[in-house]
Amino acid sequence: MNIINLNKVEFGYGKQKVLKDINLTIEEGQFLSIIGPNGAGKSTLLKVINNIYENYDGNISIYGKNIRDYTRKELARIVSFVPQDTYLDFEFSIEELVFMGRYPFQKRFQNDGKYDYDISYRAMALTNTLEIKDRLITQISGGERQRALIAKALAQDPKIILLDEPTSHLDINHQIEVLELLKELNKKQNLTIISVLHDLNLASRYSDKLVLLKDGQILKSGNVDEVLTASNIENAYNTRAIVELNKFTNSLFVTPIELKKREKNTSFPSIHLIAGGGSGQVIISRLLKEGIDLSVGVLNVGDSDWQLAKSLKIDMIEEKPFSAIKDETSKENLNLMRTKDIVVIAQVPIGHGNLLNLEMALTAINEGKKVIYVKEDDDKNIDYTNGIATKVIDELILKGMIVLNSIDELMNYLENYRFK
Amino acid sequence: MKLYHKESKFRVLISLLMLLIIIVAMASAIGSANIKVLDVYRVILSKMPIINKYINVENITDAQFAIIWNVRLPRVILGMMVGASLSVAGVSFQGLLKNPMADPYILGVSSGAALGATIAIISKFEYVKYGFSSITLAAFIGAIVAVFIVYNIGKINNKLSTNTLLLAGVAVGQFFTAIMSFLMVFNSNDMSRIIYWTMGSLSGKGWNPVKTLSIPILLTIVVLIYYSKELNILLTGDETAKSMGVNVERTKQIILVLGTLLTSLVVSVSGIIGFVGLIIPHITRIIFGPDHRILIPSSAMVGAIFMIVTDTISRTLISPVEIPVGIITAMFGGPFFIYLLRSKKKMM
Repeated sequence: MNIINLNKVEFGYGKQKVLKDINLTIEEGQFLSIIGPNGAGKSTLLKVINNIYENYDGNISIYGKNIRDYTRKELARIVSFVPQDTYLDFEFSIEELVFMGRYPFQKRFQNDGKYDYDISYRAMALTNTLEIKDRLITQISGGERQRALIAKALAQDPKIILLDEPTSHLDINHQIEVLELLKELNKKQNLTIISVLHDLNLASRYSDKLVLLKDGQILKSGNVDEVLTASNIENAYNTRAIVELNKFTNSLFVTPIELKKREKNTSFPSIHLIAGGGSGQVIISRLLKEGIDLSVGVLNVGDSDWQLAKSLKIDMIEEKPFSAIKDETSKENLNLMRTKDIVVIAQVPIGHGNLLNLEMALTAINEGKKVIYVKEDDDKNIDYTNGIATKVIDELILKGMIVLNSIDELMNYLENYRFK
Repeated sequence: MKLYHKESKFRVLISLLMLLIIIVAMASAIGSANIKVLDVYRVILSKMPIINKYINVENITDAQFAIIWNVRLPRVILGMMVGASLSVAGVSFQGLLKNPMADPYILGVSSGAALGATIAIISKFEYVKYGFSSITLAAFIGAIVAVFIVYNIGKINNKLSTNTLLLAGVAVGQFFTAIMSFLMVFNSNDMSRIIYWTMGSLSGKGWNPVKTLSIPILLTIVVLIYYSKELNILLTGDETAKSMGVNVERTKQIILVLGTLLTSLVVSVSGIIGFVGLIIPHITRIIFGPDHRILIPSSAMVGAIFMIVTDTISRTLISPVEIPVGIITAMFGGPFFIYLLRSKKKMM
């Protein structure tokens, strides 16, 4: 059942629009997380839903009734709100704080009755704050304070609970604790939960639905796997990311890659990399960090370097999984090498399947291409071809291949590279 | 040492009330004339309807009776009202503005009142009606004008911004004080009178201010107690309070208006008595905790007791010379407050 409807909601401070054309429906019992980069309007959306920010355009209805038609107390009996990072300077005990949640149900001068006691104590029991109820909120940890605030929100006996980054400033154990608690409330009490979450992995792990905001607009909303895709993340955060299934939590796991999409850096030479089996991963990440124009190949589909290059959308020549490089593929690779300034060879194990990569490098060096071999580990045997690979390498060295002993040396060399 | 339960809250308030009643009598008895504490109660009860038939005041001389009834009691009761009002205004402002430095004068009441009084004094327009001097009326008007200006500066898009309000209070206050100083420079023969007024005093006011002010003051305090739940919730932040169903803007406006009204009423009669409205709220909060449902009534009583005691000291310390009570409040309240702050730190 749809219980919250947002129709063409817009909101702004002055002329600047913070929310633009938000249309959203939220069903009863959902655990929905609002994600998006800083300044995307996540908290604002939450506060608009709770009528904390009143001067928005468009319509918001909760249980079919426009939220403008509720009195504040009426709305507070349905929706409760857990603010972000509440700094409470006054020395209330947890119990006193939780009992405040009964305010929308009480008349003036009305003291806390039995029902107020029951529901507040249940809220404290659910949040494991009962045993610390007499402690002052100025003297408890961040995790305890967050649980106390959730207890207060529960004492409001809400149908819907809104949370603004409930896990920010918490240690990982407290993050999990808070989200496990919310999930349990969501499942057992059928509480509808709408939470702003910073952490994409926590969002993917605990939510049923996601809303991805960018610049005040909904970029994508829906199931976790529909929203949390590499391209959506790149679009929203301007950061490339790898999205894969975490088998332990059985949820999607996002690894942002440290570099941002940026202009190709032309002060560096362009590079073609010969790698494979994970030997090229550090080189790829260092080169891309500098924005160097990079291509790789030939790599077998499914190889770990292939996976990285694929997710980073690097220009690449591919070969079928677990099969030797074919001549045509190798030619393509050579053609790609010809367009670059330098060919870099990682310390990749060479077998008969990928020997052609080395031979193409030899062709390139004969054509006058600069070739660099990054030999990080002197003792490592990479020759699985009974000496053929070693011979090719020796010949490459004879033809003027530069051998460097670390990636740092490589980067140093590239920095000082002089274009002809 | 915090008290959570309804019964203990009730007990605290009753004990404070008893203490207050005892202090009232003791303060009325202390002084140059030889008066017994019990006589004070006799005099009070003899003025009550019905009960007065059973009260024997024959052994009290007319002079003693007059000192108790016409001099001491009105002064003590005025002190009670002033102390209670300033403390309640201070508690409300500190809670509302979430600022421990807030006091009843933070929105410019004192400077406005002082300027009003200064104008009345230098204009030599002496005028008394219903027992109020022109100085009192001018001070009240000055206070209201100052606060009105501060409100309008602090109000942005119909919302009260706490920080703007505080800064506007400081700025307008300084401006009014500057005008007052300017006027004093040109009227140097009135200077001592003006300075004496600004230091605050409860002497020689009689029953009139008590009669006129008691009902508005009592009503205002009751209404503020009425808003104590909202004040508690406002401490958790404006947005949280809104989400919990509090009408934040209206509540803020009502509390600010009532607090300044309370302050303006007593300042115009007693002059600027400092320290009480800042420190008594803190002392009460240290002892009873932050719950305004108990904080407001208890600070009213603690403030009243404190004011009566300090005023008694101010008139008896180097009798017959009277020390302005504002000096005594700071001189005795300051060290006690520091002691409380330190012992609270040790507890934690």
